[in-house]
Amino acid sequence: METRQQGSILFSAVLVLIALLVVIQLWLVAAALDALVARQFVVLVPTAIASGALFVLSGGLLGYVVSFDARLRQWGPRG
Amino acid sequence: MADERARWREDFPVRWDEDNYMTRRELAKFLTLGSGLLASINVLIAFIGLTGRTPAPPVRRIAAADAIAPGGSVLFRYPTDDDPCILVRDAAGRIDAFSQVCTHLSCAVVHRPGDDVLACPCHKGSFSARDGLPVAGPPTRRLPRIVIEQRGADLVATGVEV
Repeated sequence: METRQQGSILFSAVLVLIALLVVIQLWLVAAALDALVARQFVVLVPTAIASGALFVLSGGLLGYVVSFDARLRQWGPRG
Repeated sequence: MADERARWREDFPVRWDEDNYMTRRELAKFLTLGSGLLASINVLIAFIGLTGRTPAPPVRRIAAADAIAPGGSVLFRYPTDDDPCILVRDAAGRIDAFSQVCTHLSCAVVHRPGDDVLACPCHKGSFSARDGLPVAGPPTRRLPRIVIEQRGADLVATGVEV
């Protein structure tokens, strides 16, 4: 398998992973809203922290895959 | 006519297929932007929840303790005049009070003494009149309990347990 094709598969996999993280964040927002309405304030901070961590993870994955793509364009073979 | 269309296309060479095309990199950036937006919303919800807490609930007289017969109920409002509640006394004399707002779609629940439940007539949901837990129908969350104390001859509400 060529490196460029590997990069393409990696990009798709990371894209799916980021989409999955966003779905989890949507669930966290729904849970936080539900807890806010039910006045269960103890839930709110953990959900905010978890959502922030998922955002950092998404950003990290995006940064990694973009830098990988840039390295591939610069040095990798043309597929 | 056909020539005019061809000329129009030549003058305005819009390639709709290319215009609607979104690269995977753009999609990844868009998703990450959405992720940041959702994280911000979560932080905002936490901020609202932590800073907007209501002060200590008031103490409010509900009724005279001997005014409610076994199997009877009385409606009141607590902690504000916009929060309808219901106080029930079972056959054994035990007193419990709950919010009257159904946790499904906010209809008012009513006391059914025969079954010892608080029933919601809108969607046939019902809650236990002892602990407020849902026992039938669409509701999944319990009714908030109103803390009741007997002070002298009166029943007073002193708090809300969600």
